Amino acid sequence: MTINEQTCDEIQFSAFFKSHCKALRNFLIYKFGNLEKAEDMTQEAFIKLWQNCADVPLEKAKSYIYTIANNGSLNEIAHQKVVLNYEKNFVGNDTNNENPEFQLEEKQFKVKLQNAIDKLNETQRIAFLMHRIDGKKYAQIAEELGISVKAVEKRIHLALQALRKEIDTIK
Amino acid sequence: MEEKYPLADWLNDEISDEATAKIVGTPAFETLQKIKKYSATLQTTAFDEPEMLATILASKNKNKTNVIPLYNHWVFKVAAIILLSIGSLFMFQNFTQTKYVADIGQKTNFTLPDASEVALNAGSEIEYQKYNWDRNVDLNGEAYFKVAKGKRFEVATSLGKVAVLGTEFDVKSRENRLDVTCYEGRVQVNYKKYQVLLSQGQSVTFENNKQIDQTVTISKPEWLRNKIVFDKENLMQIIAELERNYDVKIKANLFQTGALFTGKVPSDNLEVALNSIAATYQLKIIKTDSKSIIFEKK
Repeated sequence: MTINEQTCDEIQFSAFFKSHCKALRNFLIYKFGNLEKAEDMTQEAFIKLWQNCADVPLEKAKSYIYTIANNGSLNEIAHQKVVLNYEKNFVGNDTNNENPEFQLEEKQFKVKLQNAIDKLNETQRIAFLMHRIDGKKYAQIAEELGISVKAVEKRIHLALQALRKEIDTIK
Repeated sequence: MEEKYPLADWLNDEISDEATAKIVGTPAFETLQKIKKYSATLQTTAFDEPEMLATILASKNKNKTNVIPLYNHWVFKVAAIILLSIGSLFMFQNFTQTKYVADIGQKTNFTLPDASEVALNAGSEIEYQKYNWDRNVDLNGEAYFKVAKGKRFEVATSLGKVAVLGTEFDVKSRENRLDVTCYEGRVQVNYKKYQVLLSQGQSVTFENNKQIDQTVTISKPEWLRNKIVFDKENLMQIIAELERNYDVKIKANLFQTGALFTGKVPSDNLEVALNSIAATYQLKIIKTDSKSIIFEKK
């Protein structure tokens, strides 16, 4: 089986989809904040890969879908508020502090954090959320964004500073 | 010197103790810790991966099979076949000729689309356009026509054209001799530069650019009554006529004769016919088999 046939193989393609669809979709959400658009573009990218599977070796499939997603997004709609959720069953480390007052404070902080994230510039937000939500290593982020690891670190660093500043200013 | 991004290292839990000391305790640290803690619990909304995968996988099939261009629909194929069939039938009807053939030794009668009757003598054929009938027939051989009244009716032969309005007439076109006999009405005969108008009871023969006018008293051609009529015809023409009528091969050996024969022989009795001719030309009849006859000089 050649490399290209792998991409066309339904099982291999499905496996590839499962391991990359969420990350691609998330990447597009971080970028645009538009959930619906992000999912449409994700689907579009994978459809193009599937239809051109014979031309795309599986090892290049990842950069292929990111390229399509990026190209497709060049003329896309204006950025919208990034819709994010917190894990519902998340339990804070400080169980002692779970009094109503603390819970309220926690809730307020979460709202502030979300607003601050939304105000980050695009590149910082993407790098920051890829690390925090997708749990990717800096090296991995660097590879996917096509930048150096140092540049990722810089973006993360600046993102943290900006977030901190935003949250504390509001406080 | 390499730039340091201590916050990035700290967020990644890769920070050195030395560097940590610089961050911990600063007024910002509390907030940073909260950011680290809560951002770790952030999620994007869930989405239906299997459904999207199904849509993507189906997209290929859709393009290949489900999306059938309108012109590929079977209804159009059927319609095209029907149209072609009708079209070719129409062409066939309009441009193909209907052909009647009376084989050697046989005669046939038929009716044309305008109810004109035709009797076709042995070894003759008629062609016409059945579905685009314009009262034109092509004749090769001899035929008797009883033409229904109406527009101009034309018989085309290789030798000339015969045009009538409504009449009974006989056309005989053999080799280089054209005989036209009019039994009723009027017949116009065109032979090369000649044009002859025949009325009832008149007959004309053209042979080798010669015109012979005659009158007839009979009301139907003799061949319809199983008689072969020869009118100043030479032996070769007689033999050819006999061959057509009886489906036999006749060889005339070792003689030349220019004598012309006028008379009738039966077309249903070969013995009598052969004897009549043999007696006239003083020939000996040799039958090699039922289909082959040789005339020899006595």
